[in-house]
Amino acid sequence: MPKMEELKAKVEAGKAKLVPGLVQEALDAGNDAQSILKAMIESMGVVGDKFSSGEVFIPEMLMAAKGMAKGVEVLKPLLAGGSSTSLGTCIIGTVEGDLHDIGKNLVAMMIESAGFEVVDLGVDVPIAKFIEAIKETKNVTLVALSGLLTTTMPALKATVEAIKASGMTGFKIIVGGAPVTPEFAASIGSDAYAPDAGGAAVKAKELVS
Amino acid sequence: MIIIGEKINGAIPSVARAIAEKDAGFIDNLAKTQADAGANFIDVCASVEDSLELETMKWLIDLVQEVTDTPIAIDSPHAHICVEAMKFCKKPGIINSVSGEGNKIELVFPVIADTKWECVALLCDDTGIPKTAEKRMEVFRKIMEKAKAHNIAPSRLHIDPLVEMLCTSEDGINMVVDVIKDIKAQYPAIHVTGGLSNISFNLPARRLVNQAFIVLAMNAGMDSGIIAPTNQDLMGMIYATEALLGKDDYCMEYIGAYREELFGQKK
Repeated sequence: MPKMEELKAKVEAGKAKLVPGLVQEALDAGNDAQSILKAMIESMGVVGDKFSSGEVFIPEMLMAAKGMAKGVEVLKPLLAGGSSTSLGTCIIGTVEGDLHDIGKNLVAMMIESAGFEVVDLGVDVPIAKFIEAIKETKNVTLVALSGLLTTTMPALKATVEAIKASGMTGFKIIVGGAPVTPEFAASIGSDAYAPDAGGAAVKAKELVS
Repeated sequence: MIIIGEKINGAIPSVARAIAEKDAGFIDNLAKTQADAGANFIDVCASVEDSLELETMKWLIDLVQEVTDTPIAIDSPHAHICVEAMKFCKKPGIINSVSGEGNKIELVFPVIADTKWECVALLCDDTGIPKTAEKRMEVFRKIMEKAKAHNIAPSRLHIDPLVEMLCTSEDGINMVVDVIKDIKAQYPAIHVTGGLSNISFNLPARRLVNQAFIVLAMNAGMDSGIIAPTNQDLMGMIYATEALLGKDDYCMEYIGAYREELFGQKK
């Protein structure tokens, strides 16, 4: 399947402009939309791993995700009924009192590239808003909480506890951010921790599969 | 940033030797390493006595074109040599240079009028290098009048505002910065170029002065330079500065150049 290989290579290389055309060519060559999507998700997995290992830089990951997003645009009409993703929906946000969004945005992007629908609640998100979003959104399989300040670590803890106490189930909670450690993540009752966006995507897939 | 690779110049002793001994391999290597390092043009300057200049030019240009497709910057103080040497070039390059001096422009502009050739123009005239920004802009104004008359678009011109040695300057590069800004304000599409050898003349650790200069000059609007592309520190500084000036989306150019080992990676 040379077309698919070319597509994957261009996604990995962050050649965003070329991706939609290659997706179309792959379709014309007889590949179905699902397998093309799967191929791009695999490529993003590679990019995520390379990012985690320090081999590629944030902009390269951004461009790769941009390319994938453009490719998905081409596929969307063919992936009828929103069955484009089998991994469910991820609710993501930076916890209350914290305005950092760069890391959270990268994680959102990588989780989306891994095959989730993503609902991004933004920054400085109060507990009630997380609870409401989980209630109102269909097929939530993952909740991702970001906290970049030592001073917002208590807010992470409070948010995780409140979500758990709400009695809602069927999803996992993943946390991350500069001051967060795996030990802290475990101590506040979350299900997982990832050190960076690439790792978050890998963990996210593990959690829901 | 448009990089005009400066290393094939008979004023450099090792190059003078290669020319005298007809050492083709030495010239080939200079052409190839500069092209590989990202030069957009390869400057060729014979710096030999007048009677030998044209044949030396031909020899050098032929050698460069054997090893790279990178276009040539024909570098001679004699406008008629520049015009003659155009015939040796397989594709349009840059004439380096004309100025307000004598009849240089009259010789060159009509010849490049309806071509894709570009041209470096120095802001000096028969009175020498003007001391003030106003006087340099006066020279610039006259050059642009002639460019317009010959239908040469500003985007084909590289204006060299003439940077003089820092060690005897009373106000650093402030005057040149004013000139660069004024030029770019009047003609956004025009290129502003310059060499680096003058600025740091007679100072210790010249590399640092050159690097600091390129940053400040680029900030003022310089977007072309006659430099050594094999100088990785300088190239890295140029890529970094372009990113800092918002001319490099997501720093992809900077990262790409790093990936190509143009700078920053121990070989």
